[in-house]
Formats: sequence, C-alpha cells, structure tokens
Amino acid sequence: MSGVPVAWLVLVGVGAPALLFAVLGGASLVNRQLPERWMGALAAAAMATSCLALVIALIVHGMAQTSPRRLAYGEWSTTHDGGITIEFLVDRLSLAFAALSAAVAGIVSAFSNRYLHRESGYHRYFTLLAMFVTGILLVALAGNVEVLFVGWELVGLSSALLVGFFHDRAAAVANAFRVLSVYRISDAAMLSAAVLLRHTAGTDSLSLFFSGGDAASLIGLNSNAPTAIAILLVIAVAGKSALLPFSGWLPRAMEGPTPSSAVYYGSLSIHAGCFLLLRSAPLLDQSVAARVLAGALGAATAVFAGITTRVQSDVKSSLAYAALTQVGLIVVEIAIGWYTLAFIHLVGHACFRLFQFLSAPNVLHDLHGIEDAMGTRPSRANGLIERLGSEDLRRALFLAALERGFLDSFLERVVVTPFISVAGRLTRIDRWLCAAVIPRGRLEAATGDRGRDE
Amino acid sequence: MSDPRLWLVGLAALPMVVVAASLVVDVERLRRLAVVSAATMLLAGVTMAASPRLHQLSIRTSLLTWNPGGEAVLRINDLSSVLLPFAAGLWLLTVAVTPRSALDRGGLRRTAFATLLTLGSFLTESALVLLLLSVGSVWTFVSALSDEAHRTQRRIAVAYLGGSTALFGIGVALLVGPGVESTRLESAGLWLIVIAALMRKGIVPFHAWVPEVFEHGRLGPTILFNAPQVGAYITVVLIVPRASPQMLRVIALLALGTAVYGAALALVQTSARRACGYLFVSQSALVMAGLDCTSAGALAGGLLVWLSAGLAFGGLARAILVLEARRGRLDLATYHGGYERVSVLAITFLATGLACTGFPGTLGFVGQELLVNGAVEAFPVMGFAIVIASALTGLAVMRMYFSLFCGRADAYALRDLRLGLTPREAWTFVALVAVLIGFGLAPRPLVDSRFAASDEILTARHALTGR
Repeated sequence: MSGVPVAWLVLVGVGAPALLFAVLGGASLVNRQLPERWMGALAAAAMATSCLALVIALIVHGMAQTSPRRLAYGEWSTTHDGGITIEFLVDRLSLAFAALSAAVAGIVSAFSNRYLHRESGYHRYFTLLAMFVTGILLVALAGNVEVLFVGWELVGLSSALLVGFFHDRAAAVANAFRVLSVYRISDAAMLSAAVLLRHTAGTDSLSLFFSGGDAASLIGLNSNAPTAIAILLVIAVAGKSALLPFSGWLPRAMEGPTPSSAVYYGSLSIHAGCFLLLRSAPLLDQSVAARVLAGALGAATAVFAGITTRVQSDVKSSLAYAALTQVGLIVVEIAIGWYTLAFIHLVGHACFRLFQFLSAPNVLHDLHGIEDAMGTRPSRANGLIERLGSEDLRRALFLAALERGFLDSFLERVVVTPFISVAGRLTRIDRWLCAAVIPRGRLEAATGDRGRDE
Repeated sequence: MSDPRLWLVGLAALPMVVVAASLVVDVERLRRLAVVSAATMLLAGVTMAASPRLHQLSIRTSLLTWNPGGEAVLRINDLSSVLLPFAAGLWLLTVAVTPRSALDRGGLRRTAFATLLTLGSFLTESALVLLLLSVGSVWTFVSALSDEAHRTQRRIAVAYLGGSTALFGIGVALLVGPGVESTRLESAGLWLIVIAALMRKGIVPFHAWVPEVFEHGRLGPTILFNAPQVGAYITVVLIVPRASPQMLRVIALLALGTAVYGAALALVQTSARRACGYLFVSQSALVMAGLDCTSAGALAGGLLVWLSAGLAFGGLARAILVLEARRGRLDLATYHGGYERVSVLAITFLATGLACTGFPGTLGFVGQELLVNGAVEAFPVMGFAIVIASALTGLAVMRMYFSLFCGRADAYALRDLRLGLTPREAWTFVALVAVLIGFGLAPRPLVDSRFAASDEILTARHALTGR
C-alpha cells in the first residue's frame, strides 16, 4: 500500500537536485548564469523539496513496517541480457541516509548562499553541489550496480572539481588532481566489483547483497566470488573514505571552499564508504578476509588520524583528520558486526562534524568571545597520547604526524615515480619506432607545424 | 522520396558540391557552403537512420570478387545507417569550428573529399571497393602533409599507412581473388588484412605513427582521418565475419593491452597534442576490443563506443585546436588558466573528455558498460583492462583540463584581447555536448540499433564460418 507514494516520494527526492543540476549545468554550457537571488532560491527549493520528500518517504515506509522494496523506474537501455534499469532499493537504512544527505545538503546550501555571496564561482559552486547531492542520493538508494556506479562517479567528480574550485590557484588545481587520482582507484575498484558481481552472480541487482542478510542469498556464487567482490568494495571504500593507505588526499581536499569541505569531508562524502560497507553487510558476513581487511584498515586509520590531527596547524586539516579518526572507528564497528551502532555513530558524527566545519571560519572569533567571557585563556588539557611513551617516541610520532605519515612521499616513490619512468621509456621507444621507418633514420622531433593547420 | 538510392545520391552530392565550388568560390563563402552542406548531410543522415524504409538497400555484384555469391557493392543496413550521420557530424564539426586561419580553400576541399570517401567506405562491403577508398583516403591525408614543414611526418604516415594499404591490397587479392576456394590463402589474406587494420587503427605494436602525427603533423586533417575509424569498419565487414576464434582472440587481447597502454602514456605526456594522440590510440583500441569479442553485448558495446569515442574524441581534439589558435602550442607541464574567458570551451573539453572515459550520463557510459561486461565474459582477467583504461583515461583527461584551463588567473596581460568562441564555434560545441549527453540519458534508440547491427554481423559470421 505504501509502495506507490514511497516510489513517487523517492523519485521527487532524487529528481529535485537532479533537475537543479540539469538547469544550472545547461545554463553553464550556454554561458549564461542565473542571478544569485534566483539561484539561491532555486537551490533552497530543490534541497527542501528533496529533504521533505525523503523524510516523508522514511516515515511512510517506517510506519508500514515493510521489508526492503525494489523500486524500478523503467529501463535506461535495452540489451539482450536485460539492459540497464533505473532501480532503487528502499529500506530504513537507505531512506535514513538519503534523508540525512538531503537535510545536510539543504543546510550547506543555505549557508553557502551567504558564504559565497558575490564569489565569482558562485554559479559553478551550486552546479557542482547539485551534482554531488544527486550523486550521494543515488549511492544511498541504489538498487543495482549501475545506479550505484553513477552516483559514485558523480560524487567523485564533483568532489575533485570543488577541491579545485579556486581554479586560478595552482595549488588548488594540483591538489584537486591528487584527490581525483585516488578517487579513480576507488572508482576502478568499484567498477571491478560491479562487473565481477554481474559476471559471477549473473545479476546486477544489489538486493542480493544489500538486503539478503543470510548466506542463502549468496548460494549462487562460488566460494571465492563474495570474498573477491567484498575486498574490491573495501578498496573502493578505502579510497573514498580516505582510509590508509589513501589518507594523503584528505588534507589536500581542504583547498575547496569551507561549505564544500563541510558537506564532503566532514559530513557525507567521507561517510559514503562507511554507508556502502553497511549496505554490504550480508556480503561482508560471507567474507572473513574482507572483514579483517576492513577492520585493520579502519583501526590503523583511526590511530594514524588521531595522532596526526593533533599537530595540524590549520583548523580545517585538523578537523579533517579528527573526522577521519571517527570514520576509522565506524569502519571497525562495521567489521566487528555492530551495524546499528555504526549507523548511529555515522549519523551523529556527520551532523556534529558538519557543525564544526561550518563554524570553522568563525573559530577565532568564537575563541575571543570565550576569552572575553572568562577573562583568561581557556586551559589546554594534555591528552593521553601526549603523555604516552618516551621522549624519543613522542618526537618520532610528532615528526611522522607533521609529515602526515609520509604517505604522499611513499606513494610518490612507490607508484608515481616508477609509473612516470616506465611511461617515459615507452614514449622514447615509440619515437624510436617512428625514427626507424624514416630513410635518414632520425626523427626531426623539433619539426613543428609551421604552416596552415586545417 | 522513399527510395534510398535518391537519398544516397543526395548525400554524396553535398560534399561533391563543396569540392566543385572550391574551384570558383572564395574561401569565406566556401566555408559557409561547407557548413550548410555538412548540416544538411547530417539531417539527411539522421532521417535515413531513423526511417527503416530508408536503410534497407543492397546492390550486389559478382564482378568484383571470385566469390560465387558476389558481394554487396553498395548497401545500407543497421550497421551503416547510423554511420552516415556520424560521418556527417564529424565533417560539420571540422568545418564549423576549425579556426579560420587554419582552413584554406584546399583544406575545405580536402575535408569534403575525405568525408565523401568515408561515406563511401561505410556504404560497401566489397573488399575491393574498400581498398580503393582506403587508398584515396590515405592519399588525401598524406597530401595534407605535403609542405616542407611536415616532411618527416609525411614520411612516417606514408611508411605506416602506405604499408597498411599495401598489406590490405595483398590481403584483399588473396581473400577475393582467383584462389578464393583455398582455405590457406583465405587465412593468409585475412591475417594481412588484420595487420593492415591494426596499423590503420594504431594498435600496439603498430601504433607509433599516431602520436607522432598528432604531435608534429597537422592536427585538423589527422582528426578527420582518424575519428571516423574506417579501420573498425574494415574489421567489422571483412574480418569479424570470416575470422577464426583464435584470430579474434589475438586481436582482442592486443586491443585490450593497447587501451591501457594508450591511456597510461596519455597521462604523462607534456604535449597536449601527443597526449591527444595516445588518447586516440586508447579509444580506438577499446572499439577494436569490443568488435572482436564476438558476444552480442560486447559487439554492440564496441559499435556504440565507436560512435561515442569518435564524436567525443573529435570534439576534444577540435577543442585543443581551437585553443591552440588562441594560445599557440599547448604544453601540459604548465598551467595555462583563463577558464573564465573560454568557459564554454572548457566545459566542452570536460564533457567530451568525460564521454571518452565512459562517464555516467554521457553516450560513452552505456557503450563501456556493455563493453566491459562482454570483455570480462570473453576474457575473465584481461577484460578488466577496460576498467583500468577507463580510470587512466579519466585521469589523463582531467590532467589536460586542469592544465589547459586552470591553475592561473589568466594567461594574458591584455584583458581586452578577445579569446572567446565565435557564435558558430560555440553553438557547434554546445550541440555536440547536447548530443553526447542526450544520447547518454536516453540511449535506447542507439543501443537498440547497435544490437540490431551486432545481430547482423553475427548472422553474417554464422553464414560464413558456421560459428
């Protein structure tokens, strides 16, 4: 009975930000920008509509006490083996995360409307925010791998472009590319998991993993397939949620405007991986190896981020690592199997960290207010970690934390440099292959096109 | 008006009018005529593709082959009907956005002639006709490099493409010549045609000419020569229906390796043109991989990626050409900035680049989905090469985007200098992006048509090989 209104409500919930993205993106393409006042109103209307629809859907669905529902909205394309369908999987978990996402997006949208007033990239910011909200809602509600992948990609691209929002600064652009590099690894892992799922299970429906909850639903797979898929998902999650060894991109992502940092790295995007792990609980239950991997990565990340956050010299980086500590803990909770606790932790942390990020630009002002009220500086308590271990150990930890675990230099040395070196050699071989076919045996590499170039 | 032959005559007449007019009309008028002709051809091509009555034609003859059943010297079917507007679209893109200073009378004539040859290639399954058209198209391309500044690149193109055409010629002679009954000769002929197609499409290890010609040759003719991917058509019409599973396996594995190779090397280049060349190598290989997997899904995916990659890559490379006209040669080792002054071009570059990577919401997405699933089905391990290639292509495109449009406030001190697109350029790019996104959001007509084409190809294969 609740199926029809829930289906419509979900459609409205996802459709509102998607429509906003289409309108703003279309306007950008034809080089037109809506006035700020209109755009603020449009964004507010879209986010409010989305949030309202999803909250009502959650209430209606919750009151009906129904089991998870698959909502199919027709086929995107037809193929011989079933085609790509637009399908959502609606249950309390997905609707709750979707409603939370829409609410957070609405708050950030309202905040950004004032924060970015008269900023030259105001229009671009809201276009990318709408893209992100569409993406995160698709991730939350995805009923098949295609929809999940679409959402995953939209979140990744919008994130990288917002890190490079101040695109006339070289550092912002370089950091955006770094962030995107890790995201592409995550995307590749996600796509590989999706392909493997389809290849081994013969279906692209996620209900097999997301709502099965028992081993019976996974009987169709051979014994190694769930483990392989689960491990690929953990890698995808590690990339998206900045778990070790991918944590290096997180402080770089702070180059973006503060509201986008709040919604991505304080609140939603960084938790998208945790949410995906929660959704995949039935799959994780089938794979001890994936659970151990997730737990180890989560625990190591929590310790690393907990130490690193203490030595950061800027408030956003400090907050980002603090958020990462909690994300690591949430992943550990999921790996242990405390799913309800993990979800409560996720929601609470997303809301709390959103508030912290949004108030970060005001932190000095707030501190002065506190000092004026107290008449003295608030005392800074030394935490447990600051008192642990010998002086040498503390110094070593301090240096490691200051260098953010040497992760960037490690990846640079292990991945980037060898890759560039090999690719450079291959390029030289290609040039030689060209030179070899020229009678004189040498390539005039400097020969440019000096004439017309039609 | 329901006779497809009349429509074909009309289609062929349009570029011929431009070729003829190039002898008498001044350059500006000729360019306008070329734009109108290309737009008309595009509309006519879309009408033909959309109307089932207009794409059922086959004129067979046994004069050009020793095969007892003869072959269709002129035909329109599900495969070729969509390729007609595709070729017209690439011509329109060429004449509408190529900078005025870079497209003279001879250049306009060449683009029309090249389009005519491409159109002819897409309308035949005769090996001999394909060979003749291939000779014409290589000659047209090489003649664009005839000036002294491009002597080296001309030699490279002649060596690779001339070699490819020569092998193709020998292969065709063995395939449809007097010894057609001999299985050995047929097999040898097919292998030669395979190597010719690999060379033409720039598949490793025959790829080296592509980045070189992109970097130091003339970019405009290079795009127009490569983007339609006539080599893919030769593969579909001559190789796939006849080849043994082992032969197709070798081609598909080479193509999968090339897709990763091209994307990886595109990521580290310092020249925008050379990066573009490697991107083409990767995209071209993706198409080839799909065409040689022989499952209906992968084949349809390959055919779809052929269209999306052709249009998207054509748009991306043209965007580089347009940017070069404003800024000179583009070096990816530095940031060029100036997004605000060329925002439409930047968005076009991003959208076409993302379409190349199979980003959701673009035409490339559905094609790559089909391709990945089909490839993994055929090659459980190597099939994942497409996933890696897609990830690397995405990085290469974004690196180019950041370098070409971001990273500094403005590349020029003179803020009054006009760098924006002309209305014709802007609307052409907007239309291209609209097509890529439009078919990305509503791909069903195109997907259905590509599945119909893949069924045709597999039926032909079954008829010839029994497999």
